[in-house]
Amino acid sequence: MSGTSNLLNWILWMPMLGALGVLLIPKAKENAIRFWALANTAITMVLTAKLWMGFDNSIAGMQEAFTVKIPWIKQFNIFYHLGVDGISLPMILLTSVILFICILSSWTVKKQIKGYFALILFLQSTIYGVFFSLDFFLFYVYWEVMLIPMFFLIGIWGGENREYAAVKFFLYTFFGSILMLVGMVALYHATGKGVDSFDLLALKASADEFIKMKVSLFGTEVAFDKLFFMFMFIGFAIKVPVFPFHTWLPHAHVQAPTAISVILAGVLLKMGTYGFLRIAFPIFPGAAVYFSNFIAILGLINIIYGAFCAMAQTDVKKLIAYSSVSHMGFVMIGMAAMTSQGLNGAVLQMFNHGTSAAMMFLLIGILYERSHHRWIVRPDGSKGFGGLYTQLPVFSIVFIIGMFAAMGLPGLSGFISEALIFFGIYQKFTTMTVLALLGLLIGAAYLLWMFKRMFFGDVVEECKSYTDMNAREIFYMMPLCVAVILFGIWPSPILDIMKASVNSLVTLLANYQ
Amino acid sequence: MDYTISTIAPIVLFPFFAFAINAFLARKATKVAVFISCAAIALSSVWAIRIFKDFIFGNYATDHYVHKVFTWFDLNGAGLEFNVDMGIYIDNMTAIMLLMVTVVATLIHIFSTYYMKDDMNYGRNGRFFTYMSLFTSAMLGLVLSDNLFSVFIFWELMGFCSYSLIGHYYEKEKAGDANVKAFMTTRVGDVFFLLGILAIWTNIGSASFVDIYASIADGSFASHTALGIPLATFAGLAIFMGTIGKSAQFPLQVWLPDAMNGPTPCSALIHAATMVAGGVYLSLRIYPILDLGGLTTLVAYIGGITAFGAATIALIQTDFKAVLAYSTISQLGYMVLGVGVGSYNAAFMHLITHAIFKACLFLSAGSVIHSLHDHHTHEHVQEMPRMGGLRHKMKFTWFAMWCCTLAIAGIPFFSGFVSKDRILGDALIMALENKAMIVPALLGFGGALLTAFYMCRMMFLAFHGEPRDKDLYDHTHEEKFSWNRNLPLLILAVFTLGVWFSGSLTGQKLLKVASPEGKLEWFSTLVAKPEVSKFTSYKREAWGTVDTREAVQVAPSHYDPDHGMTEEEAHHVHHVHHIGAIVSIIIAFSGVFIAFMMYIKKSWNPGWWVTTFSGWYRALQNKYYMDDLYIKGVIGKGLLPLNNFLAWLDMGIYDRYIVDGWAKVNRGFFTFAKWFDDLWVDTVMVDGTGASVRLFNVILRTLQSGKIQFYFIMIIVVLAGYILAL
Repeated sequence: MSGTSNLLNWILWMPMLGALGVLLIPKAKENAIRFWALANTAITMVLTAKLWMGFDNSIAGMQEAFTVKIPWIKQFNIFYHLGVDGISLPMILLTSVILFICILSSWTVKKQIKGYFALILFLQSTIYGVFFSLDFFLFYVYWEVMLIPMFFLIGIWGGENREYAAVKFFLYTFFGSILMLVGMVALYHATGKGVDSFDLLALKASADEFIKMKVSLFGTEVAFDKLFFMFMFIGFAIKVPVFPFHTWLPHAHVQAPTAISVILAGVLLKMGTYGFLRIAFPIFPGAAVYFSNFIAILGLINIIYGAFCAMAQTDVKKLIAYSSVSHMGFVMIGMAAMTSQGLNGAVLQMFNHGTSAAMMFLLIGILYERSHHRWIVRPDGSKGFGGLYTQLPVFSIVFIIGMFAAMGLPGLSGFISEALIFFGIYQKFTTMTVLALLGLLIGAAYLLWMFKRMFFGDVVEECKSYTDMNAREIFYMMPLCVAVILFGIWPSPILDIMKASVNSLVTLLANYQ
Repeated sequence: MDYTISTIAPIVLFPFFAFAINAFLARKATKVAVFISCAAIALSSVWAIRIFKDFIFGNYATDHYVHKVFTWFDLNGAGLEFNVDMGIYIDNMTAIMLLMVTVVATLIHIFSTYYMKDDMNYGRNGRFFTYMSLFTSAMLGLVLSDNLFSVFIFWELMGFCSYSLIGHYYEKEKAGDANVKAFMTTRVGDVFFLLGILAIWTNIGSASFVDIYASIADGSFASHTALGIPLATFAGLAIFMGTIGKSAQFPLQVWLPDAMNGPTPCSALIHAATMVAGGVYLSLRIYPILDLGGLTTLVAYIGGITAFGAATIALIQTDFKAVLAYSTISQLGYMVLGVGVGSYNAAFMHLITHAIFKACLFLSAGSVIHSLHDHHTHEHVQEMPRMGGLRHKMKFTWFAMWCCTLAIAGIPFFSGFVSKDRILGDALIMALENKAMIVPALLGFGGALLTAFYMCRMMFLAFHGEPRDKDLYDHTHEEKFSWNRNLPLLILAVFTLGVWFSGSLTGQKLLKVASPEGKLEWFSTLVAKPEVSKFTSYKREAWGTVDTREAVQVAPSHYDPDHGMTEEEAHHVHHVHHIGAIVSIIIAFSGVFIAFMMYIKKSWNPGWWVTTFSGWYRALQNKYYMDDLYIKGVIGKGLLPLNNFLAWLDMGIYDRYIVDGWAKVNRGFFTFAKWFDDLWVDTVMVDGTGASVRLFNVILRTLQSGKIQFYFIMIIVVLAGYILAL
């Protein structure tokens, strides 16, 4: 039952074609490789825009017009099944824009350009695969395969401690994946290995059966859905990352090259929360409701603990990494509320954090290219940066936009999603709302304090040689600046895409409250 | 004028577009940017004057309002609904506010073209005007807001503008400290404000003032609770925390004096005339909630403590702008005190009169500081000990500043007297009825004495007597009248006269110059506590519809000097008000007199006070140690060590031992497995098997030697064995 359009196939395989193309270009022609990759992401972006144009906002479920379903491994009822709905489209849009920007920001990469761009394009394809998959097995394959380019991108092009970070990232995610694999196999057996054993939509439809089922674990009877919800939970929570599975993130972020940090913060973290919305919540709604308090508490810990840890950092990239932990906490607590405002706010926050976190990491990357260090305060107590406002006026303005968007200043995008999340959680977890507001306070404190230490005062001697943003850098920052301002003033374009799909999930979950 | 969103929105949009355009022009085409900002705010003023004319001079009643709503965004889909509405709400209070904000802002913009002209970095004054435009736009948006949520949005935007303008001199480390402090301190209040909005929105389904009033009127508001506390108390307190932060009330007043690091015109606009007044404006709008929640006593105490406490700190300041900063805090305290004692009208009037005289004071201060240029350090001088005798050098500034000083000191015939006296009169009435209110009333009267004193002290020190720094004095240019320096000051000075607000010279009908109907008592007639009962029949109008106010228009209220009280009550109130007026007049003149004796006649020595009350003096110098408490205590001893501890716990312990510990555990396991594999599996079992085979081989090989004799011996041995066994 394939839809009328092959657009999803094109979007999914276009970067893969691009990656193969990169491999065919001779190593010496560096600019050809760069422009090829850029053109490729640009084409993908246009295709994504076309998808957006053809998207029907009023449909709550999958957009039939775009669905692709082809048998893949018939013996195990595994399908190559792609689809798009209001929850995945914002992520797709985000991925396309972020990857395009990442190619531009990687212009200055010197080492093994061919391999680098091939891997980034390969990575892009696997990201689309995760967001498009409607077959659990396919989803799992993309989820796992994505680790390979990430492992090499961090491990080869990363900072001084890159191998440690890459291995840690790989093993940590892999550990979660294994639990997910167990859950997946359990579901396969639970559905009687029927035609749609791995089909996410069919699994969602048989959610009620899973609630009734029991499994024997070390001799005790355990509810099937609760047990495997927890398995899925850990698998996705590691990706988000939810406390206490968050410690791979600061390492990976700090060691990864700029573009990879941007992809990591901008897109990959959202795959964790996307996993909840696409798999864990719809298939195990009963368990999701059962554990919602628990998820909310973890989200709250993320918000506050992440913010506190961020404030103590002296490495600016690590500070932003912890701020991602804090901001993803808002997504978690918003999802746990399971109200219309909470869930819509959470999905919007996934999108908005994607843009604002990408901005912050790009800006830090731009700065790093000039300074070759990231110390706000050096270990010996001296200032790492100072007076950047005087030295880099344009950079400072863009930095202010990104910083205040991350902080949730009204008029910029982060505010609307955070406000919606707060409306959502107040109805369910009033006390936790009060505590989460503390995160809002500390969230402003660590960013402003960082800004003050780096940008105000006299220009530090070594900063005097820094040059302001060049045309290429301004060019690739512009789309993000426009996005955070535009969606801050007028959030409807993104909200309109998602609200039907998200609300139907809310209604589904409400049946199990 | 038809009141629709599209006819009202320009008042906010002119400065907003000026901001948007200037964001690109500020660095390259500074002069154009400055012009655009000024033109935009002037256009907004025209709009504001039209609205003011309609509402105040038009045929309108006390209770007339215009309310238009549109949906900003919604979450409607798949059967669920949630609309986020924005809208405008204009009543007499809004109309007065709009006029005040636009006119004061226009004058400050004009003054800024003088003050910021030779800002050292050329592109920078474009930046200044860009933020001023955004700021004005946000303030106007706040004033026009029909709901708490959009108030919050504009409120935060103003916080951002304030942050940027305090940090205008970004090469100064101090500016960075000051703007972080300002933003974070107000953010503490803002976070509570947001909580209050959440509580109200969740419980009554809307954050619109009109819906809130309606639900208070029909009793449903009182039936809700939040965290076990009545909603009115919970939300009222939370939102009032916002006021405490933004309007620099005790205990969050610490940011405002530091905010003086920004350029002086921005201090005039943001930290004196408008933004800080936004907090008071909000508390007036939510007055019915505060009243219902039983919070008025608390509000009065906060206001009283702030009014008096800040005034005491102002007594010993030597920095010109610092005196004004503390006087702002103190005057905001009076407004909040007014809200607390139910003096709705007078609190709002004080907001307006204060905005005018305080803007003028700050601009005058700017005029003074800008002229005093130390040619050794190349910095402007703000220290009063280095001033003195300046009246000979700058006559216009001196004149304007005296008008404002008399106004703020509460001298009759000036605006501050009209408004402050009414607040104090109402405080006195409350104190007579309710013993708990005696303290705020006393603090209010005490503060009035101090205000008169420290303001006159400032004037005497700066403008009168002999020049104390002769060198500086000689290098100061004679003030020549210029339109962008002096005209704004003089226009504002004219409006420090009380007659504009009271319609009579004293506000007590003693010397009434108005017509018999009291029509010129417009301020007290047209601004009144919102009568919530009127809102029960309210029906929302949709986006873009033409105003249908004819249908809801109430006949113009007849001026009622007694405000609906019985004759006896009114008599009592007027009696108390008269006593209050006499007391405050005596107090104000005593303040002026003491300052005169100390600093002009020099018969009384201020040093005596310093030595006699040295402990107090130190406490005042350290602003009652509240900065130390917050920065060194709460942040330095609490927050930062906690952060460092958690970060250490996270990376140093949790990640290093627990997470990476798994690797160690695994490595241990591998080592064991390797050892087991090598020794037991490989050596003993695998190799052992081989070895045993080899051993067997050796034995077999030995046995199968091929020697026939040996085989025979073996056979015999075996047979012998059998026989023996049998």
